[in-house]
Amino acid sequence: MPDLLEVEGISASYGRIQALSNVSLRMPAGSIVALLGGNGAGKTTTLNTISRLVPLTAGSIRFEGQPLNRLQSHHVVRAGISQVPEGREVFRDMSVRENLDMGAYGRSDPAGVRSDLERAFTYFPVLRDRLKQKAGTLSGGEQQMLLIARALMARPRLLLLDEPSLGLSPVLVQKIFDIIARLHADGLSILLVEQNAAVALAASQYAYILENGEIVLEGASDALRQDEAIKRTYLGS
Amino acid sequence: MDLQLALLFLQQGVASGLVVGSVYALLALAIVIIFKTSEVPNFAQGEMLMAAGYVALYLLVFRALPAWASISMTIVVAFAGAALFRRVVLTQVAHASGSPVNLVIATLGLSYVLKGLVRQTGFGDTPRSFPALVSTDSLMIGQASVTRLDLAILGTAIIVMAAFFWMFGYTKLGRAMRSVGMNPKAAQLVGVNLNRIHTIIWGLSGAISAIAALLISPKLLMTADMGSVVTLGFAAAIVGGFASLPGAVVGGFIIGIVEQLVGLFVSSRAITLAPFLAIMLVLILRPQGLFGGRVVIKKV
Ligand SMILES: Nc1ncnc2c1ncn2[C@@H]1O[C@H](COP(=O)(O)OP(=O)(O)OP(=O)(O)O)[C@@H](O)[C@H]1O
Ligand SMILES: [Mg+2]
Repeated sequence: MPDLLEVEGISASYGRIQALSNVSLRMPAGSIVALLGGNGAGKTTTLNTISRLVPLTAGSIRFEGQPLNRLQSHHVVRAGISQVPEGREVFRDMSVRENLDMGAYGRSDPAGVRSDLERAFTYFPVLRDRLKQKAGTLSGGEQQMLLIARALMARPRLLLLDEPSLGLSPVLVQKIFDIIARLHADGLSILLVEQNAAVALAASQYAYILENGEIVLEGASDALRQDEAIKRTYLGS
Repeated sequence: MDLQLALLFLQQGVASGLVVGSVYALLALAIVIIFKTSEVPNFAQGEMLMAAGYVALYLLVFRALPAWASISMTIVVAFAGAALFRRVVLTQVAHASGSPVNLVIATLGLSYVLKGLVRQTGFGDTPRSFPALVSTDSLMIGQASVTRLDLAILGTAIIVMAAFFWMFGYTKLGRAMRSVGMNPKAAQLVGVNLNRIHTIIWGLSGAISAIAALLISPKLLMTADMGSVVTLGFAAAIVGGFASLPGAVVGGFIIGIVEQLVGLFVSSRAITLAPFLAIMLVLILRPQGLFGGRVVIKKV
């Protein structure tokens, strides 16, 4: 039985800048795996290679046993992987409703889409009151919620979350991570990219640490939280 | 000039301005949808119009096909030609180098190729007149005299624009087009095939240019250089803010009306200056254009 996601020895570069070298990670179905690291470590690049926005120069990626290498980026979401990109990448001039409809772009089961919309509102009730509002006018926290809801509208089996806590107040971070825990409890597998190591380690079962495009450390999240070196460099204590 | 005459000129200018303006509005729309979604100004827009005009002329006059067949075939050919150019040529150019400059040069290349083709066929050697498919009997609206053809031009342009705005604003395809214009990366992440949407947008732009050609051709002499009429479409787009579709439409009507008013009140030789006058005025008073918002640079 293959793992849900198997990333094996991948490398990627932007022109002459080598962003990833020989990165491997795997995650079993039903888990939350954290990918940690500082600015420019290669976290976003890793997610974008999975979403096929950034080409691999080496290695391979398998999802549910199937290689992703041959898919084009717009096929990835149909294959069951949704990404919540970093930075508030909503469709600014569209209403919240249209943003959510865009999330279901590749689907042709209107009944299923309707029920998933209702389900999204159970996680993010605030969005129901904002349906007609332009997404660009939402607060930062609401935009982050909309992004997650938009990704859920594709009914993914794997969610790639890029720095969901970025720029949010501690209260909002708590709120978002409560929802992440609920999504996980409801069976969703999540690859969680974070700079905020404390929250991410608390939320995940397993974690990888990237530095300069390489995995420098990995282990069970509980163990990493006790690790002295980790505490010093990433947990600020 | 006495008041009576001024009022008459004003009515005539607005009426004729709305008619030509509606065609400029279509052209501006064709330009802006491409620019908005791919950030490439298409410098072959005028030659796409010219080539479509000659395709229609060929089918209608030289092959003597019925009007409905000529019109629909012209539109289909224009859609397919523009879509193919985007799909094949621009994709190759983009693969070879990521620089947008090369894409712009490719559109310039297309404009020369289309002109060359039309000259090659020999149809473009002498100015030709395109048969009017609607009677040119005039009728009075207020004190303005317009022809039935004029009304047909205006009516058709308005119907085409309404259909376009409905598609763009209220269908799934239109929503996908808007998403690509707003945030191509997010569009890809939700499963939009950028290539497919760009291809359809180019096709639509070609089809709209063809419709503009069919509408404007009876009113001018056709030559291989008639594509220069698209300058007025660019002017309209600039007046409207260049990235705004409603702006393009309003800009088209403004340019058309200003042009006709200048022709009547100043001199018909001053007409060619009118659009630049309108552009200068707008750029000075409102640099972002009438409907322009902030300028945002997007990356694909
Ligand atoms: N589009 C790009 N073009 C060129 N270089 C890039 C591009 N995107 C990222 N890089 C470079 O690749 C490296 C990895 O960047 P990446 O965005 O993956 O880091 P990250 O871990 O997500 O950082 P952050 O926490 O700041 O989001 C960095 O050195 C970055 O400068
Ligand atoms: Mg990042």
